[in-house]
Amino acid sequence: MTESELLDKIKADPAQFAGVFKLYYVPIFGYILRRTGDFDATADIAADTFLKAFLHIGNFNYTGIPVKVWLYRIATNEVNMFFRNRRRHNSIFEKFDVADKEEFKSYMEQDREAMESELQQHEQFVKVLGALKTLPEKHQEVIALRYFEGKNNREIAEILNLNEGTLKSLLSRGLEKLREKCNQF
Amino acid sequence: METEKFEEQLIRMSKPGVTHLKHQDMLAEAIVKAKDKSVLSGWWLSIPLYIIAALLMKSFFMRSTTLVTNMHEFKGHDVYASLLFFVLMPVVFIVINYISIRKIYFLSGSPKTVRFLGSVWLQLLAIITSLFIIIIYSI
Repeated sequence: MTESELLDKIKADPAQFAGVFKLYYVPIFGYILRRTGDFDATADIAADTFLKAFLHIGNFNYTGIPVKVWLYRIATNEVNMFFRNRRRHNSIFEKFDVADKEEFKSYMEQDREAMESELQQHEQFVKVLGALKTLPEKHQEVIALRYFEGKNNREIAEILNLNEGTLKSLLSRGLEKLREKCNQF
Repeated sequence: METEKFEEQLIRMSKPGVTHLKHQDMLAEAIVKAKDKSVLSGWWLSIPLYIIAALLMKSFFMRSTTLVTNMHEFKGHDVYASLLFFVLMPVVFIVINYISIRKIYFLSGSPKTVRFLGSVWLQLLAIITSLFIIIIYSI
């Protein structure tokens, strides 16, 4: 099924959004985790990202932008808002009416343990992420997408709605700043 | 050269990965059931519109009056209510709908103008109606 067919299906039956969720929740969750380094913030931001996507998918006209790029865009904006306001998102438990709260809580705990152990095993990454977080927002975005997510310039330009020239300059300046910060370790 | 080395290190550095999340299916179910709670009821605008319609009817049946004179009379009769219905409420609506249009523009994936206008016609209508109410009040 093409993305445009999937979007048409969702417009006709919103429950079909579960298909988008199944395809993209894990990669988007991973991206947010590699931006924040914090399980709770990641879970809340990822839930907000998909909630916004679900509520606005009717407005998402198929213009050639892949759904994955659109989701990365929303997630990037949500992460920026999180860093900018340093506000706690409403907890995932307060926001959603899950069928079995106890079971959901237990799944969240198991996921938290797995993610925290995953972060502990990547000490060097956590240090670099700490340095990255001190850089300006625009530099954080491009570096995370390029070096943590392995996106190429065309994909990053699409996600951030930038032209490639601006992107290259942001990347080179950001990389230089990050190197200086990392040298201070 | 040093930056190139650093870049190479960043590429090669192992990163935390996510392959499976146990809470995923339950969250998907909950999201599909969620409703947008941020919708502002447009019915509030019907109050000033109703008053304008009543004043218009009055001017139609009482030939000696006009909508403008009736509006001045209404303003003099109840200053606070007229400010609330004809200024404060429309201004709040304009601000909220403007923010909503910006949000939809971003969430729609920055679409082309015509397609975008099609998806925000309701918000635009609310802004135009609010402006209409303010103009009627201020003449």
